[in-house]
Amino acid sequence: MNPFVFHVPTKIAFGEGLASGTADIVKELAGSRALILTDKPLMQTGIVSQILEGFADMKYVVFDDVPPDSDVDCVNKVADIARAEECDCLVAIGGGSVMDTAKVVNICLTLGGEILEYQGLNNIAEQLLPLVAVPTTAGTGSEVSMVAMVKDRAEGKKLLFGSRYLAPSVAVLDPLLTLSLPPKLTAATGLDALTHAVESYTAVISNSVFTDSLCIDSTRMIFENLRAATKNGGDIEARSQMLVASTMAGVAFTNSGVGVVHALAHSVGAKFGTHHGIANCIFLPHGMQFNMDAVNERYAKLSRLVGISSSRKDSVAAAELVDAIEKLCIDCGLPRRLRDAGVPELKSDDIEELAFLTGSDPAIMFNPKDCSPEDIKGLYERAY
Amino acid sequence: MQFFANTDELHQVMKELWARIGRDPDMSEKLLQSKLIVQFQYREPEGRVTVDCSDGKEMRVTVGKQPIKPIVEMSMKADVAHDFWLGKVNVPFAIVSGKIMARGPVAKALQLLPVIKPAFEIYPNVISQHKKVMA
Repeated sequence: MNPFVFHVPTKIAFGEGLASGTADIVKELAGSRALILTDKPLMQTGIVSQILEGFADMKYVVFDDVPPDSDVDCVNKVADIARAEECDCLVAIGGGSVMDTAKVVNICLTLGGEILEYQGLNNIAEQLLPLVAVPTTAGTGSEVSMVAMVKDRAEGKKLLFGSRYLAPSVAVLDPLLTLSLPPKLTAATGLDALTHAVESYTAVISNSVFTDSLCIDSTRMIFENLRAATKNGGDIEARSQMLVASTMAGVAFTNSGVGVVHALAHSVGAKFGTHHGIANCIFLPHGMQFNMDAVNERYAKLSRLVGISSSRKDSVAAAELVDAIEKLCIDCGLPRRLRDAGVPELKSDDIEELAFLTGSDPAIMFNPKDCSPEDIKGLYERAY
Repeated sequence: MQFFANTDELHQVMKELWARIGRDPDMSEKLLQSKLIVQFQYREPEGRVTVDCSDGKEMRVTVGKQPIKPIVEMSMKADVAHDFWLGKVNVPFAIVSGKIMARGPVAKALQLLPVIKPAFEIYPNVISQHKKVMA
């Protein structure tokens, strides 16, 4: 057996209505002044106000202006507020952007100094303040991941932070919070989770039975429930399964990495603002075809284990998995080409730039097969 | 037992390795294009090697403490570095398991990994020559 390291620093709690008890979880973590991060659309749904009712007997401050693709300015602004209010714990209620912002604010708040000092991998060597993550989408896995990304708009870059101390202390999984997610966002975030599971299962260091188990079961749960969650948002069982599957895939990818699909999605997102889940769902079949000769056997195994294929022939079983993903995307109404997702015509300069961004994305390091700039350009051309 | 006996030995080997990388037109050209300043910080034994490609024309390699501020810092045990140059380190695994720490825009540095792969063939020769000199 190959060597592996597996971390689950986050306590994971699941239950319908559990989020209303978030304040009690904060108190268990000895928090006395909470910084609560969220976004404007969530404030308007009333989800946050229900959670805030539990904080009535403790001090807290709410920052509700985290943008969809958060940035350094937002982090610095929130960190200043938290310092002024002497906050000693954080609560993130929202999707990936809110949770990632909270993680980076936590670095600034706990360790002080400039945010750029902590950019990188394994730089943070001490416990940060307690952070409770309450995801309102089922896809990013940020509620359990040990990484965070925020934009440096002035420099036009994404900053990556990675450390096991970045993982939230507690993830509160309450499916009721995902009921109001519109169908397209439900489908797109669900495909983000599926991409985490499939890429983690075949990542270059994915040798652990722990990550394998999480990838296999989360893939199965997504195939069984994403259509229902998308078509009937009120299906609480489908929502529950999707939320748990997303977190499972999150634990898997934070331990084993992802791959070329994520590198492509990050790049197209950075250049054109394409939604991460949408980009992943477009690139996933192309990325799998590209990796096919390297991990055909793994795809085939996954295909059989989740009940998609009964073929003994690896090439057939693996192809059936790719087809099943394609069909899932179509059934959920997701775009199948970049041009259908609002990406303008890709000129050769665009493809050069995208290939550079993709080649320098850390996710690509975990891909099971080396990707040359020409390979990456080919993937963009096929996905367009 | 650690591979390098002391800081001097570590610095001599790394300096010679980087000098040879600098003489390889393919590797040096791509490294200079990056315009990066990468500092490798070693422990057991302590050591510091700074590779400065910032002017895009000349690769300057220095050892020990330097006033120059690196863009990327990579920290690891000297034995991890030795294994890396022998081509024996799975870098993604070393990062996930915390054996390698990287500060700064790591994506830029990671992009250079394929560029320096030919040095895996140079390194054993650097080591054997160094051992002959020491003998």
